[in-house]
Amino acid sequence: MSSRKRSARRLPWAWMLVALIGFLFLVLPLVGLVLQVPWSSLGTDLSTPEATSALRLSLVCSLWATALAVLFGVPIAWVLARVEFPGRSIARALVLLPMVLPPVVGGVGLFYALGRDGLVGRYLHDWFDIQLTFSTTGAVVAETFVALPFLVITVEAALRSMDRRYEDAAATLGAKPFTVARRVTLPLILPGLIAGAALAWARALGEFGATITFAGNVQGRTQTTPLAVYLLLESRPELAIGLSVVLLAVCIAVLALLRDRWFAVG
Amino acid sequence: MIQVVFMLGLVGALVMTSCGSNSSQPSSTVTGTITVSAASSLTEAFAKIGRNFETANPGASVTFNFGPSSTLKTQIVQGAPADVFASADVENMHELHIAGLLHGRSTVFAKNRLVLVTKPGNPQQVETLNDLANVGTISLCGRDVPCGRYAAQAFRAAGVAIAETRITRGADAKATLAAVTTGDADAAIVYATDAEAAGSSVATVRLPDARNVTAVYPIAALQGSARPALALRFIRYVESPQGEATLRSFGFLPPR
Repeated sequence: MSSRKRSARRLPWAWMLVALIGFLFLVLPLVGLVLQVPWSSLGTDLSTPEATSALRLSLVCSLWATALAVLFGVPIAWVLARVEFPGRSIARALVLLPMVLPPVVGGVGLFYALGRDGLVGRYLHDWFDIQLTFSTTGAVVAETFVALPFLVITVEAALRSMDRRYEDAAATLGAKPFTVARRVTLPLILPGLIAGAALAWARALGEFGATITFAGNVQGRTQTTPLAVYLLLESRPELAIGLSVVLLAVCIAVLALLRDRWFAVG
Repeated sequence: MIQVVFMLGLVGALVMTSCGSNSSQPSSTVTGTITVSAASSLTEAFAKIGRNFETANPGASVTFNFGPSSTLKTQIVQGAPADVFASADVENMHELHIAGLLHGRSTVFAKNRLVLVTKPGNPQQVETLNDLANVGTISLCGRDVPCGRYAAQAFRAAGVAIAETRITRGADAKATLAAVTTGDADAAIVYATDAEAAGSSVATVRLPDARNVTAVYPIAALQGSARPALALRFIRYVESPQGEATLRSFGFLPPR
């Protein structure tokens, strides 16, 4: 306690001022949004068919995307953290690329890969009659693409920071590798896995660019909440703001859930 | 202390540069910079007109803000700095007129028509709006964007109804067209000028005149302009024979 007080006193107050300006810069847009919420009509606004179908789609797609991110992300993280192979750092960079890539670019890439005439998409279409574009599955694919790296980076960090002696001990006692993974490693990284899944879910929920580019903007099929907000800003801004605030509330809830993992200070 | 002065100076400098562009210069001169908020269907034509205008008026420069007319109108209502507004419909211009935000009156400077575009070669042989009933996914502009409203009018005139689950909606004509050029949409309804700009990446099907809808493009100077003289000069240039020729070369129709 006393040491923290001392460091606070040593911080130049000019820095505090700049920090305050930066803080306000981050918070003011949220305040602006919340002040615009038409609270009295919010209930009726959010129960219109456009709003309910967008919210329902957002929930369904983001949960599927999170499940797929866990399914593929945990093995990827495992390989990146534990297996030495040439080009590992390049592989990691490629896995993390969707985090920094403009999502619209990701959507265009998905189209050329999985669209009806895409690299792989043409076979999906010709052989199995599967078309991902303009389908809810396509929206899930786009969300998974942007959400997966968040899960990988979080789980990989957990795997690297865990104490491996527990695994060694279990192996010494005769446990098979799969048993070690299931009974020792997974429970140890579970908090990291939950945090990664929550981040991936929040990212999938907010996904816009890749979804509208790859899956299109079809009401009831691919028009998730962010897409609906974008179009409704033209015609019914009050509904767009209502939906934005629902997303904002969900994101705050996710951060609150994660506070002990990532945001606790000392 | 020196640190503090430096920081405050930095903040001050940032504030100054962001406001500096529209100070000094008496409004009677035609030098300086104006911002033109224009419907996204005007992107290519206005970019060229802007370059020609700058060549004809040394010392003047034009920056453009392209987007859906309804978004541009909202930006202007909320105080976004703009000197000229060119809309793809009369309604959005009229709302600014009602709000008292126009400097003078608006004039119609161009017209546009709707066309149907498909993948190159028109593989599904779409010839009329009725044929769209049998085609996979159709890309239309948002319901409240001008090109979306015009498309709805054309469908009503043709007596064709398309299920909403087969419609993907773009925020403006460019995004709507992109769903065909860089997407799996089988057809789109956009402006003739957008189809022209897309060249061979789409096949264009003209709609019969009786079923077509004419988009009307009004232009006006804005009340909030810091350079009304330059704004008016730009509008006069758009309406001049040179401006009209440029617009026509991009597929626009003359206003009369």
